[in-house]
Parts: sequence; C-alpha cells; structure tokens
Amino acid sequence: MSVLQRLALNDEGFVFDPATGDSFILNDSAAALIRGLQEGLDELQLVDRLSERFLVEPEQATSDVEDFLVQLRAMRLL
Amino acid sequence: MPSLVVGITGLNATDNPGPGVGIARSLRLDSELDLVIVGLAYNALEPGIYMDWIVDTSFTLPYPSASAREYIARLWYIKETTGLDCVIPGLDAELPLFIRYAGELESMGIRTCLPTMNQFRLRAKDQLPQLARQSGLSAPKTLVVSDETELWSAIEEVGLPLYVKGIYYQAHRAATAAEAVGWYRRLLAEWGGPVIVQAIVQGDELNVVGLGDGEGGCLGLVCTRKTVVTPQGKMWSGVTVRHPGMLKAAERFVTAQRWRGPFELECIVHEDEVSLIEINPRFPAWVYFASAVGVNLPSRMIRQMYDMPCDVGSDYDVGQLFLRYSYDMVASTEQYQRLLTTGQLPARESALGQFSIGELP
Repeated sequence: MSVLQRLALNDEGFVFDPATGDSFILNDSAAALIRGLQEGLDELQLVDRLSERFLVEPEQATSDVEDFLVQLRAMRLL
Repeated sequence: MPSLVVGITGLNATDNPGPGVGIARSLRLDSELDLVIVGLAYNALEPGIYMDWIVDTSFTLPYPSASAREYIARLWYIKETTGLDCVIPGLDAELPLFIRYAGELESMGIRTCLPTMNQFRLRAKDQLPQLARQSGLSAPKTLVVSDETELWSAIEEVGLPLYVKGIYYQAHRAATAAEAVGWYRRLLAEWGGPVIVQAIVQGDELNVVGLGDGEGGCLGLVCTRKTVVTPQGKMWSGVTVRHPGMLKAAERFVTAQRWRGPFELECIVHEDEVSLIEINPRFPAWVYFASAVGVNLPSRMIRQMYDMPCDVGSDYDVGQLFLRYSYDMVASTEQYQRLLTTGQLPARESALGQFSIGELP
C-alpha cells in the first residue's frame, strides 16, 4: 500500500499516517486533492475537481495542483 | 486464579523513569489476577514505593554491584516475609545478576522470565550489527573504539555527523570531530570503554515493545512513535502506530533469538527499511501505554509463567496518544524513616492477610 493510500483523513482535514505516526492538517482544497489522489485521479482530473469545487480558473487550478504535488513529493508522500 | 506475590523493581518514577510503576499499573489492569505487589527499591525516595494504590508493600535492596550473596540473601528474606513468588526486574544494572542467578532463585521459589546471558550480551552496542544480521534487520555502520587513534579513524570512516555512544548507556550526536572527541572522553570517564561510533540513519524512530516465550513465539507487540522526548531521550508523549516492516522485524527478532522475556527494539525506519539502533532486554518505562491500548505484556508474562490462559494477539488501535505527566503526592516522614531504618514499609491493610509465612512487615 502506498503512503498516500494508507493516510487516514477526517472531515476536519486532520491526516494521520498509521505506519509512522506522522500527522498533518490540511485546508479544504488540500483535503480535496488528497482525497482525489486516494481515489486514483490523475493530474488533469485533480485540476478539474479543484476548479469545480472551489470556482477557480483552470490556469490557477493547474498551477496550484502542480505546487501541491511538488510539496507531496518533498514530504515523501508521493 | 492463585494469589501471587510479585516483586517489581524500577519504581523510580522520576524524569528518567524506570518501568516499575508502568509494570505495576499494567498488572493492576488485569482484574482477574489476584496479586500482591511488592516494591523493591534501591533508594528510599523512589516514588513508586509510596504509591500505595499500586504497590502493597516495599523493601529496599542492596545494590547488585555490591555483593551478589547479599542481594540473594535479601531476596530470600523478602521471600520468607511475603511469600514472594516471582520478580520482574526492570533495570539494566540488575539484569546480569538476575540472569546469572535465575536457577538459584528458581530453586528458592522465586521465578523470573528473562533472556539467557548470551542473549543479554547481545544488547551491547558493539554486538548490534551481529544481532541485526541474525534478525534480518539492517544496522547503521557501527565501530568500536578503544583509544583516540581508533576514534579518529572511525570518524573518517563513518563520516559526520555521527553518534558517539557508551557501550550500554547514553548516545550523543556529534556534528564535528571536536564534538566527537569531547563526547568520547566524557563517556570514557563516566562509563569506561570501549566507546561506540555509529553512523546516523535518516528516517523515523519507532519503538516496539514485546514479549518472547523463549521458544520463538511472541506474546504480543506494540509499535509506537515518540512525539515528545525529554533531554534524556525518554518518551514524554507518543502515539501508537502499526508499521508492517517494523512489526515483522520484531517477530523475526523473537524467532531468530528464541527470545525469552520482555524487550524493546529501537529502530529507524525509512520506507520499508528497518535499521536496528538499540535493544533493551526489559520492559521500557512506557510499557503501560501498550497495556492501556490492549496489549498487557506484564500481565501476559505472569499468566504464561503460571500456566494461566493468555492472549497472544497484537490487536490495538493506532493513533492512540500516550501522555506522561508529573504528579505530586505527599508521604509521611514516618514511612520514609521506617524504610531507611528497617528497609521495609508496612503492608497495606488489604494485603496483610495474603502474606503466607514469616513476620509481617
């Protein structure tokens, strides 16, 4: 199971890694993206989700998703 | 269930705590066990011996380094006075004596559940690579140094930063060669040689507490991560986790060593790689955490020793928080004086009827 798949995420954005004990707090958009990744969405689908749910322009959503994925890779979650 | 008299050491519930209070609380959690708990202390100010809601009576012991004969004789006195059935030692300094004299204690009617002397020796930090290999684990590069020439070679070979460790106690991070030399000299002065130089492994530090049955079987495991540590490196708060690689590594350790008794493995985990950095052949001070989340290892130890039904699962919820706190209590000078002058504290009223022979303390 990948790190991302095993993360436990609650409705308030609290994330817990049951294997290492690491925990994070996510804002609403980050939580939406993590859930999307856990559902297996690709980058384009994540952009669509962010655009629709948070009413942002696709260009902004693309940039935000790219940024977020870089952060996840830096944290070894992806 | 038979009534048992259990002696527990390590009742120094201080900022550098022994496991005794945690062991005693764990035993009290098992309401089916009919126990009298006897506190065994090296210092009349060990807080645990005054916790009369956990400990029924207490005795002082001589230091194990003083005289083995005196130590055994004292245990015999306590046996005659209280009917002591078994002892759960919790301090590194006393383990060699208990292991060496396990047979004699058994013949006196005092049982223990401990590893063999060869297994105990594996805890020495210079034995780590061998122990790790036998258990299918990784170990950080570890070099044993006996003089400063060897130290300088080790610094070059291991690379900075690194850890400088005493053979049994203390570990210090050194970012420069000068720091490493300073720690080496201090460890040498305090504990003697040799001194260990060890590479730093990147990853998350996870700890596992467990209990081996001496035949390769495991009577339970709990894996935790320290979230707050004291300056002495002791867990002040923690969280339960379930790292599959770590738990498998602990099972492999128990099987490979046919380990008997309690143990704690301290490892660094990086993705699936598990590096062993230390092993403690006793319960850790945080053992009550494991008991409170459903894996009561002290209770299972007693049950196994006396052929009682015993759970062996490792079923616990992850994300449970452990929070240690500081608690103030008042004891009477009379109790302290009694302990200093006679070496024993009076038994709790409820425990009096359970002492089998001899004069009641």
